[in-house]
Amino acid sequence: MSAAATRALAGLALAALIAGCAAPPPPPPKVSDRVVLLPQADGRASAVQVTADGQTLLLDKAYATAERAGPALRASQTTAEAVSKDYGTLLAQQPARPQRFTVQFEANGAKLNPEAPAVLERVRQALAALPAPEVIVTGHTDRVGSDEVNDKLSLQRDTAVREILVAAGFSRDTISVLGRGKREPLVPTDDGVAEPRNRRVEIKIR
Amino acid sequence: MKPIVTMLSLCMAFAAAQAQTPPATDAPAGLVKRVLGSVTLERAGALQPAQPGLAVRNGDQLRTGAQSAAAITLADDTLLTAGAGSHLVINAFAYDATTQDGNLLLQLWRGTLAVVSGLIAKKTPENMKVQTRTVVLGVRGTEFIIDARGDQ
Repeated sequence: MSAAATRALAGLALAALIAGCAAPPPPPPKVSDRVVLLPQADGRASAVQVTADGQTLLLDKAYATAERAGPALRASQTTAEAVSKDYGTLLAQQPARPQRFTVQFEANGAKLNPEAPAVLERVRQALAALPAPEVIVTGHTDRVGSDEVNDKLSLQRDTAVREILVAAGFSRDTISVLGRGKREPLVPTDDGVAEPRNRRVEIKIR
Repeated sequence: MKPIVTMLSLCMAFAAAQAQTPPATDAPAGLVKRVLGSVTLERAGALQPAQPGLAVRNGDQLRTGAQSAAAITLADDTLLTAGAGSHLVINAFAYDATTQDGNLLLQLWRGTLAVVSGLIAKKTPENMKVQTRTVVLGVRGTEFIIDARGDQ
């Protein structure tokens, strides 16, 4: 073998060695599952914990992601733009967020206060825009009187609101009522205090 | 094997959690709010097309076709949206509107799911779990996407 041939062979061997060292690792396992934390609509803190075979990742920043690829669970980060591109169609189909309204009542009865009809009109319009609408009506009283009397009164207030919505054309079956009496005052007061803001019905629609 | 073991232990943990929550009433777990394309609901082996207004119950399985989607609002205000080619199981749901106690276990066997967690996760975060074939999510709140479509 000539010296040149020997050098060439040595060179090839070296090249093969280097190539061996630098050879790309086998393709990484495919991503089977991916979790993306979204920013919360009201800006409050949000987090999910992702667990796989004893590995745990806490996603607590908007657009943080966890990806399961083969045995590995790895943390990464995506962007609003990428989420919109990958999941815009999905997010566009989300159900309506629940909406909340409050109407107030005169003392000692189920007579709505003068501002209530305008609020109920807004409820009616919002309901008309919802597919398969549901209404959850929760009645409350001020802290004058016994639990027994106030439980009954809060239900009378629920019923008054429900009947107005039924008269406006909404099915009774879609409206559920819950009387909370004086247990959950909006404005905390001593027992026996006639605080008008506590005489209310909260209406949640979704 | 491992995911199956994980699943079993999770189910057992949920059975235990359920024992502490009020007995489930006949009230549905939620309502279908929107349907796009082809969506099927399977209950006790029987299939029916899903439409807005259809009640969803414990154990129901939802399947969406290509270019389809389904949106569901659960009784605790949890919002679920299953994207195209999804298979979602409402594995356990119990909720008491008065105390806001309850528990929720969802399984996404394939597809995509957008979640806005509701009052169960707000009051007792450890009582809400979402599971895929390979990961389990604990929910502290509130908005996230799970993608179990595999590498694309």
